[in-house]
Formats: sequence, C-alpha cells, structure tokens
Amino acid sequence: MTISDSISGIAAPSDRRSRARQAHIWLALLLGVVSVVSLATGPTGTSLWGAIAKLLAGEPLTAMERVVLWDIRMPRLILGITVGAALAVSGAVMQGLFRNPLADPGLVGVSAGAGLGAILAIVLGALLPVWAQDVAGNALVPIAAFMGGWLSTIILYRVSTRRGRTSVATMLLAGIALGALAGAVAGILVYMADDRQLRDLTFWGLGSLAGATWSKVLVAGPLIGLAVIASLFLGRGLNALALGEATAAHLGIPVQRLKSASILIVAAATGAAVAVSGGIGFIGIVVPHLLRLATGPDHETLLLNAALLGATLLLGADIISRLIIAPAELPIGIVTAVLGAPVFLWILLRRRGLVDL
Amino acid sequence: MITASDIQVRIAQKTILQGVNFTAKPGQVTAIVGPNGSGKTTLLRALTDEVPWTGRVQINGQDTSAYKPWELAAVRGVLPQAATLAFPFTVIEVVRMGLMSGIHGHNDTIAQRALDMVGLNGYEKRFFHELSGGEQQRAHLARALCQVWEPVQNGSPRWLLLDEPVASLDIGHQLLIMNCLAVFAQRGGGVVAVMHDLNLTAMVADVVTIIADGHAIARGPVADVFNDQTLSAAYKCDLRTNTVPTHPKAFILPQVARLSCSAV
Repeated sequence: MTISDSISGIAAPSDRRSRARQAHIWLALLLGVVSVVSLATGPTGTSLWGAIAKLLAGEPLTAMERVVLWDIRMPRLILGITVGAALAVSGAVMQGLFRNPLADPGLVGVSAGAGLGAILAIVLGALLPVWAQDVAGNALVPIAAFMGGWLSTIILYRVSTRRGRTSVATMLLAGIALGALAGAVAGILVYMADDRQLRDLTFWGLGSLAGATWSKVLVAGPLIGLAVIASLFLGRGLNALALGEATAAHLGIPVQRLKSASILIVAAATGAAVAVSGGIGFIGIVVPHLLRLATGPDHETLLLNAALLGATLLLGADIISRLIIAPAELPIGIVTAVLGAPVFLWILLRRRGLVDL
Repeated sequence: MITASDIQVRIAQKTILQGVNFTAKPGQVTAIVGPNGSGKTTLLRALTDEVPWTGRVQINGQDTSAYKPWELAAVRGVLPQAATLAFPFTVIEVVRMGLMSGIHGHNDTIAQRALDMVGLNGYEKRFFHELSGGEQQRAHLARALCQVWEPVQNGSPRWLLLDEPVASLDIGHQLLIMNCLAVFAQRGGGVVAVMHDLNLTAMVADVVTIIADGHAIARGPVADVFNDQTLSAAYKCDLRTNTVPTHPKAFILPQVARLSCSAV
C-alpha cells in the first residue's frame, strides 16, 4: 500500500462529514442573502438601501421607513427564520426519534394538537379573569400550543412504539386519528367563538407570517431558539437511536432522557411555530430529506443544517408569497404546500418500501 | 469478571429463566449454549438489561445498575442478534458509532482497523443496508469492537457480549470472527457469546454454560462439560463427543441411528 493509498483510504470515508460541515457555512451565507432580500422586498416601495445610506450618512429615517423596515419587515424576517428553523428541526428530531423519514409534526398530528392548544387559548382565554389575561397576555397562545404539541407527541409515541420499535403504519394512523380529533374539537370551539375571536382564528389558521409583530417574536423566538440550540446536543444520541433503543443504550446513550428531551424539543418548537404562524406544512419533512440526500443522515451535522435550510426555505417561500399576487399576499402555507407536496410524493415513490403497510 | 446470581426472567407471566448463576472471567471466551427456546439469548439479554430481570449482575465487581449508561458502554460492547438500522448510513459511519462512547472520539484509524479485523476492508463507503446479512453482522461486530478497542483499560478488563456472533456467516468468516474473539480474550478482555454451533464452541470457547428449559444445567471448562450425557440430555437427542489424534479439541457428532421414520 502506498502512502497516497493509505491517506485516501482514511480520508475518503469522511467525505460526507466534511461536506456536511462545509454546508453549515454555505447555508448560513445563503440564509444571509435571502434575509437581505426579504428585508428589501415589499409592496410599499420602501428601499432598504436608501434607508441604509441614510443611516450611514447620519440622516434620520422617515416615519414610514422606520415603520416598514423596523416594525413590519424586521419582525417578519426574524419570525420567518425562527419558524423555518423550528419546523425543519422538529421534523429532523421527530424523524430521528421515530427512526423514520416520514415522521413529521405536520403529518402525524403534532401540529394539529398544537393548533388545538392555540385555538383553546384564543377562545377560552377570553373566559379567564381579566387579571389572568393580563398576566398570560401574548404568552398564553404559544404556551397552550406547546402543551398541545407535547401531549400529542407523547400519545403518538406511546401508541406507535413498542419495545423500542416504531410501527410506521400505527404512527401514521394514530396521527390521522389525533389530527381528526383535534380538528373536531377545534371545530366545536370555532362555533363557540365570537366575531373577534373568529377573525383571530381565521388569520391564524391561514398559515402566514403576515401578522408578525415584535411581541410575537419575543414570545416565540426564545422558545424556538432554546429548542433549536438544545436539539444540537441530540445528534450523537439520535445517530445511536438509528440502531434501535437497545443498541443505543449499549452505546452509552441515556435513552429515556434522549426520548423525553426529543419530545419536549419537538413540542416546544412546533408549538411555538404553530402558535405564531399557523399551519405551515412540508418544511419539516422536505428539508431533512434533502439534506440526508446531499450530506448523509448524520444528525450531528443534520440538525444545524436543517435549521439553516429550513429558515432559508421559509423566508424564500415568504418572499414568493408576498410577490406572486402583490400587493395582496398568498398565505405562505399554500406556497410551501405547492412546493413541498410534490417533493413529498417523490420521496414516497423513491422509497416505497418504507411505507409498505 | 462478570457474575450473575439467581437470575430470573419472567415475560408475560411465563418464566423464561429460573435461578441461573453465571460467571465469566477475563482472558477467556465464555460460551452460552442450549437448544432453541432454552433461554440462552434471554440470559444474555438479562446480562445486558434488554429484558426485565431479577437477581444480581456485576461487571468488574460493581452492580450493573450502579453504572451510568456511558460508563457501562465504556466497559462492555454488546452485539444483539438482529440489529436494525434506520436511515442510509454508510458502513464506516455505523462502525464509528462504536467510538463515540469511548475515549477515542472520532478516530477513523480504529474504525478502519476494526473493519479490517472482520474482513470488511474496502466496504467503508458502501451503504449499510445494501450489505448481505452476514456482512451487516460483521459490520455490527466491528462497531462493538471499536467500543472496547483496548481489551484492558486502566487495569480493568473490558467485555464483549455477543448474541450468536457467527450465526449467519460462512465457515471461513466464522473462523475469522471466532479468532478475533479469541485474540480479544488472550489480550486480557472477556468474551461472552451465545453460540449455536457446538463444534465451533468446542474449538474456541474456554468455558461453557449450558442452558436448558430455563436452567443452567452445566457450567465449567468445555472439556468437562461437553460430554455425551450432558449434551444428549440438554438437546434431547443422541450426541457423541469425539476427538481425533491430530487435534486436541473435541467435536460433537449426532448419532443418526436414532432417527426414525415414524412421521411418514
């Protein structure tokens, strides 16, 4: 064996790993570019560049510029980044936990559970005494959504996993049942809602970043930020879990703790995302899948890449949703579904064996 | 040293193992044999906490329950009978998973040498799920070998607990793997293997425990335990142990004369 042979023999297997690490940088750069485009795009014709030039020259911004850039586009940008990262990371974590590339909070009823929590908070929150409403304020809806997502994830896991093995069929069917149940209860609540609540619900249910405000950012941002950062520590555990619960335990992973942490992270990220942006589908299933194709299934790099790509794609979809029928807006959920559903079908076609019920 | 005392396993109101005592010493290959359904795999699962059990299991003088998961992983590598794998990992990625619990971190040289040991040199970048059953089994063994790469660490032995490590291998690879295990034991580590093939066991194991009907019916050096009466009683058929003058190890020969045609 020559020296070059032995070097390539050792270096070659790490190809995917180094590619995945390079992807951190490229995706972060891409996210930066899309962020700037997002800030610069809008129906009012307010120029980001004009405002930056003014700031650099020390001139004051007009009230219009301040409102459009700072109070409308900036919270929308941050919300887009956090929600996109949340959806993609909860998809990746859930797929790792269930050991299946089809597990996605949107598909298996976790988003529906979170949505039910949010609706409960919107409709029944009004019944709380005024002082409690003041205390809970903006946090009530995200917290309720988190609880709803958490409960549905736990139920789903209990139902579909036996002795560390998840049945895909049971998982998907249980997800359908959970989604239907949540939808039914949500329907009852909609009947009970008054006009103002109904408007809130409709606005929320469309799945949009249009209602982005700083208060939403302040409520959802920290929850999602914590969940995404915490998820980055699950990489090794989720890799080991791919070998099954027993083998993961033999590899030194505290499996119960890993599972509880995963469920909490999925619930927090999905709950907060659903609470502020409604039902935005397909990011959670498409993003991790594309990354696995490109750089392999190693969760130690996949989770960060998923956060970056999820944020980028959601911002991209948001820009499309703002431009395509400007000055009106398409709900972003429609854009992600139109782009994501075909990809999802393509995954099914390629990997038909996985859903061999 | 692994010691297990008074192990009892009940699954769904059925007693699988009853009052089993078991010991394995470092520097030896300890085999667990017995007929199908006797409880030999269950014993290994009790030793590795894969089934609920009562009794006491100690590794290197400490109860297994007193170890943290990652401490236990640094002391013993486990190879289950059938390991599945979600997601398209490559062979080297699977083998590297064995390194993550130990002090070696992502040491590709060790992963590479483990693959060489199990005869999978050149398979690094192949997808794990595209390998044959026997190749997958060897890749998993390489992963377990990585986990306990140095047979002795800080003066205490490390362990390989394996459930039928050569079950789906051809005879050449069976010998290769059994040789790996024997070398691991010679270097001071301990090997506990559930074995199906009595001749292979007779050739490689130092000590054997025979499980039949949920009880350990015999324990001791292979030369003492593998005799006609014990084996015939355990497997409920007529077996003879023999030796050939050129080879000191016993081999076991089933006695075909007892076969009858009553089923026809």
